[in-house]
Amino acid sequence: MRAILVIIATLLTLPVMAQPPKGYPFQSFDKALQQAQTENKLLFVYFGRYGCGYCEKTNKEAFSDKKIRESYSKKYILAYVDAESGKRLRLPSGERVTEREVGTRYNAFVTPVFTFMTAEGQPLLRLVGVQRIMDLREADKKVQQTLNKAGKP
Amino acid sequence: MRLTKILIGLLLSLASLWAHAQPWEFDKPVKVTSTHGKNIFHHLESSGRHNIAISAGTVAVVWEDDRDGIPSVYLARKDRDKQEFSKELKISGEGEAYEPSLVALNNNRFVLAWEEDTRIHLRVVTPTKLGPTIILGKGEAVQPSLTIDDQQLLVVYSQRESHYGRIWMQRIEIDGVKLHLKHGCAVDAEPAKDEQIYPSIASVAGRVIVAWEDRRPGHTIIMAAKNHDRNSCSFDSPQRISEGLSGQRPAFGKGHGVSRVALATYGAGKILAVWADKRDFREGHDIYAAHNLSGKKQLFGPNVKVQDSFGGIAQQWHATVAGDPSGRLVVGWDDNRDGDANIMLSWPEGESWSEDFAVPGADGEGEQNHPTIILDREGNLHLAWIARTTIGEPTQVYYLFGKIVK
Repeated sequence: MRAILVIIATLLTLPVMAQPPKGYPFQSFDKALQQAQTENKLLFVYFGRYGCGYCEKTNKEAFSDKKIRESYSKKYILAYVDAESGKRLRLPSGERVTEREVGTRYNAFVTPVFTFMTAEGQPLLRLVGVQRIMDLREADKKVQQTLNKAGKP
Repeated sequence: MRLTKILIGLLLSLASLWAHAQPWEFDKPVKVTSTHGKNIFHHLESSGRHNIAISAGTVAVVWEDDRDGIPSVYLARKDRDKQEFSKELKISGEGEAYEPSLVALNNNRFVLAWEEDTRIHLRVVTPTKLGPTIILGKGEAVQPSLTIDDQQLLVVYSQRESHYGRIWMQRIEIDGVKLHLKHGCAVDAEPAKDEQIYPSIASVAGRVIVAWEDRRPGHTIIMAAKNHDRNSCSFDSPQRISEGLSGQRPAFGKGHGVSRVALATYGAGKILAVWADKRDFREGHDIYAAHNLSGKKQLFGPNVKVQDSFGGIAQQWHATVAGDPSGRLVVGWDDNRDGDANIMLSWPEGESWSEDFAVPGADGEGEQNHPTIILDREGNLHLAWIARTTIGEPTQVYYLFGKIVK
């Protein structure tokens, strides 16, 4: 009983890190851009920050869905950007930026922001704030329909 | 028609009045380096935003760019009375160098600190010599920031210990062009429980204050600590500067975000801290400040919003601050309220802050950002920033002089 209480207390005091959700192949923005260009795929970029409450809520309530995980992991190259971080990235253009600067460039002034973008970094659809399973499904559907209309797989 | 003329006349008069209300008259921008073009990206991003300094008649600007395919640190200087900067000097060695910080000594001399291959490097630059480089510490250390107090050089930086960065301060003796390490210490005596990063330092008559980003509560806050005794390297327990929000705020999780604190001294030993603060989650980062409360147990006073309400839903980034001995104070940042990123300033007016002022020559089309500012002893403003016509294109470093008018 005591062990269970300790585990519960530990879970309750765990900091909200707002890391990308587990089980997804999120990678750094620069690597994701390169991979998207190589594989001719779209990017799905998650702009979060350390301690972001709505990021954690979205992780728990939407990204935990198995179908979302399968669909997003298959169709998109996934990137995670900590919009407060000084982590250095090298863009395909050769420009060196920080994750914070990437956040600035894509107007991630609130978190979370989720942006579908082309392999060249052109935003297509942007979701702001906490997302539900149905929001992510709907966004995926919208992006895929746009691709189909444009005659792209 | 007549009414229109009257209104235009009234607007022009108001504009003229406003122009006279600002404390500085600005010259035209000057390019700091002639080395720019394809695949060259300049960065002004030192911790504490100290990329510009003035010693006697010399203005110096330090930055990093990767013209040779490897990030390196460069310094350019100019006589205060001339319009052109000298050809830049390469300051760093053969390693990957980032985030240089600069401070002025006397007689047109400067000290620079930078990160190179994840170690802190320092050296003196005189009008005719580059002093030998010294390297701090044993392990990974980044984000140096410099200050000088009565010819005593102080550097703060984040040193990786175990999992986290921890803020350290090092005293350094200046001996001509040579630097000698004196005593150093961790600013927070307790080992870091989470990241301590991006420090800034201010020192007045041996009283040292260090501020930094700290993630110990599970989100980012600004912490600060004061040395226990004058000239000592022992600090009182750190205190939180950036205020939290009361009540349950599910959008914020553990708390709201803040970033990149900068400190400046002004007047007779006063210190101001500025940073970007996300307490209003609908507005993104806003520019906030707090004054040091000298002689009190509480290190800093209440947080005040520096920018005006017109910047509400725009983004404000890269807060920089400068003061002078007569008590003048100015805060700068970049701001996209007009669609493009422009450099804006605000200064104290009575008990509040002035309306935000877009710096002529550092505003308009394209991108103007990453400002770094300093006031000279007369109160003249010296500003450097990064500019380009289109996001993603190569950059240029610019300098602007603002002559004090009141």
